[in-house]
Amino acid sequence: MTDSTAPTFVGNLTPRKRFWATNRGTLIGCAILIVVAIIIPFTASASMMNVAVFAMIFALPAIGLSLLMGLAGQVSLGQAAFFGIGAYTHAILLTKYDVPGPIAATIGVLAAMLVALLVGLPLMRLRGHYLALATLGLGFIVMITAREWDFTGRTTGIYGIARPEVFGIPITNNGLFFWFVTPFVVLGIILALNLTHSRAGRALSAVNDSEVAAESLGVSTYALRLKVLVLSAGFAGLGGVFYAYQVAIVSPQIAGFQVSVEFLLMVVIGGLGSVWGALAGAFLIEFLGEGMSELIPALIPGATGEVQLLGYGIVLVLVILLLPGGLVQATTALWRWVKSKVPGKAAVGMTEVDDAAVVALPRISAPLAPGEPILQVSGLTMRYGGVVALDAVNLTVPAGTILGLIGPNGAGKTTCFNIISGTLAPTSGTVTFLGRTISGRKPHVAASHGLTRTFQNLQIFSSTDVVGNVYMGRYRQGRAGILRGMLGLQAHEQRSNRGVAHDILQSMNLTDVAHEEAGSLPFGRQRMMEVCRALAAEPALLLLDEPMAGLSGAERDVLAELLRRLRDAGLTILLVEHDVAQVMSLADHVAVLDDGVLIAHGEPEVVRNDPAVIAAYLGTDVDEVETELTDLEGHV
Amino acid sequence: MLIDFLQLTVAGLSQGSVYALLAVGLIAVYTVRQVVNIAQGEFAMLAGIGGAWLTAAGMPLIVAIFVAILSVTLVAIAVERLIVARVKNLTTLFSMIVTLSVSILLQAIMLLIWGPEARGLPRFPGENLLIGGVSIRSQELWMLGALIVVGGGIMLFYEKTRFGKALRACAEQPIAARIVGISPVMASVLAFAIAGFVGGVVGVVSSPISLSIWSGGLLLGLKGFVAAILGGFSSFRAAIVGALLLGVIEAYVAGYVASGLRDGVAFLILILVLTFRTQGLVLKPTAVRV
Repeated sequence: MTDSTAPTFVGNLTPRKRFWATNRGTLIGCAILIVVAIIIPFTASASMMNVAVFAMIFALPAIGLSLLMGLAGQVSLGQAAFFGIGAYTHAILLTKYDVPGPIAATIGVLAAMLVALLVGLPLMRLRGHYLALATLGLGFIVMITAREWDFTGRTTGIYGIARPEVFGIPITNNGLFFWFVTPFVVLGIILALNLTHSRAGRALSAVNDSEVAAESLGVSTYALRLKVLVLSAGFAGLGGVFYAYQVAIVSPQIAGFQVSVEFLLMVVIGGLGSVWGALAGAFLIEFLGEGMSELIPALIPGATGEVQLLGYGIVLVLVILLLPGGLVQATTALWRWVKSKVPGKAAVGMTEVDDAAVVALPRISAPLAPGEPILQVSGLTMRYGGVVALDAVNLTVPAGTILGLIGPNGAGKTTCFNIISGTLAPTSGTVTFLGRTISGRKPHVAASHGLTRTFQNLQIFSSTDVVGNVYMGRYRQGRAGILRGMLGLQAHEQRSNRGVAHDILQSMNLTDVAHEEAGSLPFGRQRMMEVCRALAAEPALLLLDEPMAGLSGAERDVLAELLRRLRDAGLTILLVEHDVAQVMSLADHVAVLDDGVLIAHGEPEVVRNDPAVIAAYLGTDVDEVETELTDLEGHV
Repeated sequence: MLIDFLQLTVAGLSQGSVYALLAVGLIAVYTVRQVVNIAQGEFAMLAGIGGAWLTAAGMPLIVAIFVAILSVTLVAIAVERLIVARVKNLTTLFSMIVTLSVSILLQAIMLLIWGPEARGLPRFPGENLLIGGVSIRSQELWMLGALIVVGGGIMLFYEKTRFGKALRACAEQPIAARIVGISPVMASVLAFAIAGFVGGVVGVVSSPISLSIWSGGLLLGLKGFVAAILGGFSSFRAAIVGALLLGVIEAYVAGYVASGLRDGVAFLILILVLTFRTQGLVLKPTAVRV
């Protein structure tokens, strides 16, 4: 059992589905890109060079949009608005106020980010199509404002932007301009890739897999999404700055919908959420557009105007129908095929698992002395319209104990559980955890104080492997935000968390599947993995929603034994369970809900013999009660 | 002064009825499929340009109108069968990208076939009215009439008939819908057919005044969209009221402020509504989808 804890490079943790999965990948990719970028101006024809420059400029907003779509799961149909804001700000500062280039550019980028912040503040709370529609509206507003305002030069726009100068060299031709943009694109790619591999990036992709699970581990979805939107606008703004330099005139249509569509197209063709895909998409679309506007009039006589639209439309439809993962999907498939043709090394044999070995317990946090109340539920009431699901429930959970919450179907167990974990807000009453009121707040608030949960219907992060899932449990222990993530300054933190994740897997006998995709595990092991993930958060209170459901007898025993040992180590556990026998044998206290009312609460012995419980829960038929009781005796 | 005001109001209401019909088409699809159909405006342009081309080729107006509406309905069904239905994993994000690509494709096809010029159908028969100095063109009455007949009809179909209600329930309860005898496939085809039909009607009634052009559908569809948002993407009534309001406000802005700002109104309303009141004009929201 010495195999698992040695930390390797951080990139190992990234989802296997990604082609460029490692930091090494980033380096190799950027090195190739730089070499190609140096060579292109020497070899390409003048018209090719012109297209290449625009592709490089448009790659910036495309990368930003790709981050937004891949990480925040939202689409902006107004990426050109931010592009336009960056371009206009830059152009106005340069031509009207003689601001030095670098400062004007910085302000341009910041202006785009500021507008994104203002739009995102109210809108990132909503899911679905709202952000898409609002950004679309923003695009039109920016375009119309620019067109109607004297300050922005109305339809003529802002012109007379001088060519930039770098170290005294004026950037006078496309080749030089290409070299001028490329470093920024490379930098942007590195920052974006780092972000997708970072703590924040992983949290966001976890949110896309299961928002409720990510929040139960302490991820503040809203804040992260908002930051990604702002960042995405920053990329677009930077693109706008270069556009203003290159074209030397900024006019209203650059904020228009057609431009937004082009950016979207680049991302979709490249592959949603892929940084390299966005770059590839930018080049493909630019050359496609160029080719189309020559090809289509040749094929169809008399065709004039923006006929490249036909190409865009056909390509988009085909990509969505046949290759929804874009170029990245195609490349990955090709790579797999090549690998399968090349006889490689045989897979390393599975690590042997020594079931008998006594495994180390994962670390837990015990902020209170055993017996002190860690969770207090008072007067908890939940009404759905006229139906009372919970009626003034009072409960106190002492630290270092296991409380079993049972009751017949529809008794209000799940409602109670969901209120405690923060997924539901109660009609009235409060839940106090470690002296803080947590009811009615989002789950990540409770999670940040040390309360986490598992799910009856498993909520696994299917885009990553088993160790990646457990690693997400460490979210609360990390500090690195988006900025640190982008700069790649969190390797140490990631490495130590990765070690912890492996330790926990080992303690639950899951080491052998650590690098399997989480979704491919059998049900019982997925449930164990979920428990691992919750334990990785080092909670003070662990909420388990029907943890025994779907487990085999042997697995139930392993889990029950683990829970006892964790309890003895100081962890407080609250479980909702159907398996009455397991609860009676495991819990220190049992609470019984019936029709939303707490009808009994006490030690298992007492509760079991409570006539109210027998009547309400086990059924009023005497024979049935006796059978159940005998059954219980057998288990205890 | 007052006459100007009333004149603008009339113009606004007739334009608003166009937005209202488009919103009805959008909601008809959204309630069944949860798809925001960005190509809705292209349906209207297709009918307008196609109808104008047919009449120019010598077809009688009434026949051209029928052919145009029918063809666009068939195009909408084809879009559903050939593209939308074939997308696996149709999330909100993907549905918007898909209908956006349909929109671009239709634009390009119109551009290639009919060229870049705007075309208009001849005016529908009828006398222009002059009431107290306010002139009402007969075509504007046709537009309002189309809203009342077609929009009202579709609203009643969805809200009052058993079949229509089952259709709406399809998105949330496919099994219940099946019991009433509607398969999800059938429901989806029907929803797109309705969207195509409404788009076709909008296209032909508005074409004599507003003219139809290959690139005009997007902006028009987006206005319909704003109206649909005002109806919380679920209530036909609220959306129709919102659309008429939008048309009137646009007319006032164009008349009293600056005609260039006209198109900005809708999107300003859009952002304000999304920011402060996502249920739009719906007074008793059933459940806000978030």
